[in-house]
Amino acid sequence: MVSARTWLQVGGGVVVAALITAAFLQGRVAEDAWTANDPVGECGTGTLGGDVGATAGGGVLAVQNVLSATHALEPATSTWDANTADAVRAFQAWTGLPANGCVNTNTWVTMRALVVPVCAPEYNCLGADQLLRGGPARGGRDAWFLDADCDWASWVQPGVAASPVGSQTAYEFSGGELAELGCEG
Amino acid sequence: MAVITDYTRANRRNEWILGGVVGVVVVLVVVFVTILVTSGGGEAPATEPDADARRLTAGTCAAKLRQPAWVPETVMRADVACPEQISRKLGDSASPDRLGTWVVYDLHGPANEELLPGAAPGLWPDAEVASGAIHPATTITYVAYPGSDSLTEELGGDTLRIEWQDFPQGGGEARVTQVENNGYGPLRVEWTDEQGSYLLLTVRGRTPDGRSGASAEELLRMAGSLVGPG
Repeated sequence: MVSARTWLQVGGGVVVAALITAAFLQGRVAEDAWTANDPVGECGTGTLGGDVGATAGGGVLAVQNVLSATHALEPATSTWDANTADAVRAFQAWTGLPANGCVNTNTWVTMRALVVPVCAPEYNCLGADQLLRGGPARGGRDAWFLDADCDWASWVQPGVAASPVGSQTAYEFSGGELAELGCEG
Repeated sequence: MAVITDYTRANRRNEWILGGVVGVVVVLVVVFVTILVTSGGGEAPATEPDADARRLTAGTCAAKLRQPAWVPETVMRADVACPEQISRKLGDSASPDRLGTWVVYDLHGPANEELLPGAAPGLWPDAEVASGAIHPATTITYVAYPGSDSLTEELGGDTLRIEWQDFPQGGGEARVTQVENNGYGPLRVEWTDEQGSYLLLTVRGRTPDGRSGASAEELLRMAGSLVGPG
């Protein structure tokens, strides 16, 4: 007959295994955050008539943060607008993509390739640890990001961030409403 | 028996012999010196550009780092961001010991120059937006992480071409990541050696003035030309 102690041990083992699996999967999500991002912007309408591309939230803010460095886009509000659309199209045309204003996987991959860690690769620096530097060598523009355990985050510079976005605050990439990063950097 | 001695002719013959010997010696000396100069000069073209490339960062924190001795002809100037400066931007949340040093090289030519209208993007002419005429400056960014022996995380995506390529000179190889957007897009070259890990980044941009940035071959040549402080 199986004792209660054995059942407790088995149960504890299952919980630990589940936690390890969840941590691993979250790590994978963080790695793939840029390529797994939902479409943003002018991506047409779905079968039910809704917009395919998000027009507000963390994904839009990430795009605006990239464009603040590459195309001097200001302000970053996390809401899609005409300025963001044209800056996306200019970015796409410059990098060889169809200039359609839809930030889909190919555009996300292109943006991701411009971001470089500021910290040596084997270290885990806390806080903003990824930099996209745009413009000329002197007087260039910086866009900061944070590669956290659970997700990537935008970390917008003062002067670029505008309400409801706060400067030097980590906002999750994930779609949906704008949300501050909920895990450790 | 009559002996005719022509002293004038004998003297003249001796002078010819002496002159010939002196001439041969002079020729040999000239040839020797020429060979000496030529063999020494063979290294000059290699060292001269080296000195030029390192001069771009002279007097900065990058001067004590391994850095490319060769850069493409289109490079005009460089700007350096030291770990201490980067740390300050982050509110001193990261120790400078763990941060890389950035050298950003400006490139010459209209395709590489920044062309961003002063007006808000919503007012940019559609035709110019679509043609790639509105674009940031294209640079080459070099980041050195001294003491590191790891590469940055490998990127993922269907439009990426990632392969290891040999340096054209200097020995070694690097991971080359090219975003393949119809022949354009960001280009990264990353490698390590016994003293650290390194990254070079540029964008092969599409503009009405032609392709911007540098080629993979040029970045690999930069990577293979890494030298210590000059």
